[in-house]
Amino acid sequence: MSAGAAVSTGAAEIGQSERRWRRRSLWALLILLPATLALGSYTPVKWLFAAKDLFPRDVEPGSTVRFGGSDWKLEAMLTTKDTGSVKLPENAVPVFVDFSVTIGDPDLQKLWTGCRITLADAAGRSWLPTSLPILRYSDDWSDCNSATFSGAAAGATLKIREAFVVPKDAIPTIEPTLGLGSERPYYLRFLRAKD
Amino acid sequence: MIGHRLANLAILGLAAAICYGMQTSKPHYADLTGPIPVRGGMGDDVKARLFQLRVDKVEFAKILAVSEFGKDRTLTTGGLWAIVTVELAATNSTTTISEATWQGPTGLGYRETERLAMVSGLPPFTVEPGLPARGRFVFEVPPSEISGATLLVSNERAFALDSQARITLDGLRLKPDGTPEMVADIYDMDEPIQ
Repeated sequence: MSAGAAVSTGAAEIGQSERRWRRRSLWALLILLPATLALGSYTPVKWLFAAKDLFPRDVEPGSTVRFGGSDWKLEAMLTTKDTGSVKLPENAVPVFVDFSVTIGDPDLQKLWTGCRITLADAAGRSWLPTSLPILRYSDDWSDCNSATFSGAAAGATLKIREAFVVPKDAIPTIEPTLGLGSERPYYLRFLRAKD
Repeated sequence: MIGHRLANLAILGLAAAICYGMQTSKPHYADLTGPIPVRGGMGDDVKARLFQLRVDKVEFAKILAVSEFGKDRTLTTGGLWAIVTVELAATNSTTTISEATWQGPTGLGYRETERLAMVSGLPPFTVEPGLPARGRFVFEVPPSEISGATLLVSNERAFALDSQARITLDGLRLKPDGTPEMVADIYDMDEPIQ
């Protein structure tokens, strides 16, 4: 065997193993590219889920549900004819939504941040609590965000009331929803009693 | 061998040319994520993603009269005050509309004035679905930037991948020189919005 033949055999072997690795690398791309995409989008998707009320959990009328470490019960949905000095548009109706909440885990500042109570109707519209001062100050009631910072102890019962202004045509189908920072993307939807 | 090299060089040159072409012809990232325009004229219901807006009238004045903290105050300007009365409604959920810009024919943008602190009926407007509300945007503009102006309205000042209402102010009554026919001496901001 001549020296030249030995060299050329060695080159052929190197070429083969190189080709093998090249092929392996290409196959690896099939896994690595999707994996990169998944890793890169993990944090934004996590933020999106933590920021939005996406998936409803239905609550039967009159029942109590544990949410954000405490027991929530929808007490009432009321309206009033007396809005004091505030003049509402002709087709607008004030609606008060009352909850009673028995505190379980008292770390409300961690569990309840970003508390969001809305009214949603069957057409997919939703209303946030109004900024109009139709809700008179009271020691008995607080809104959700001030309740978060109330320092309530475990076992205490809080009364939470939010005031809304909605158009008349929404009244037949509006249902309260409740979202809390620690429970997102899930939120509660309080079903209304069937008449 | 030389042909092989030349072919390689040609491929490299072609790749460089393609990359350069793509770089110069493709929209910039800021344009891709910039405002999505929804256009209309005065009196049209212009539907953005979260709100609907109609420009009812535009008035001009030399002086604004306001009462702030119980004190009457007048505000003069080197240009003109432009008061845009709009009707606003939320599409599907309660929303806040806080940003409006008067864009003149030369492309200069005039943001709503910040000289009025405690006057009602000014942005930010919180609007609810099914409950249209009226409001005013107040601008300070040079008379030369009135003819051919566009009103830009969005929920926020900085946003990405969201719509912006762009209303061509085509219903203004102007003199041949492009300045408004009617300019009030004093506009009283305490009058209810009509």
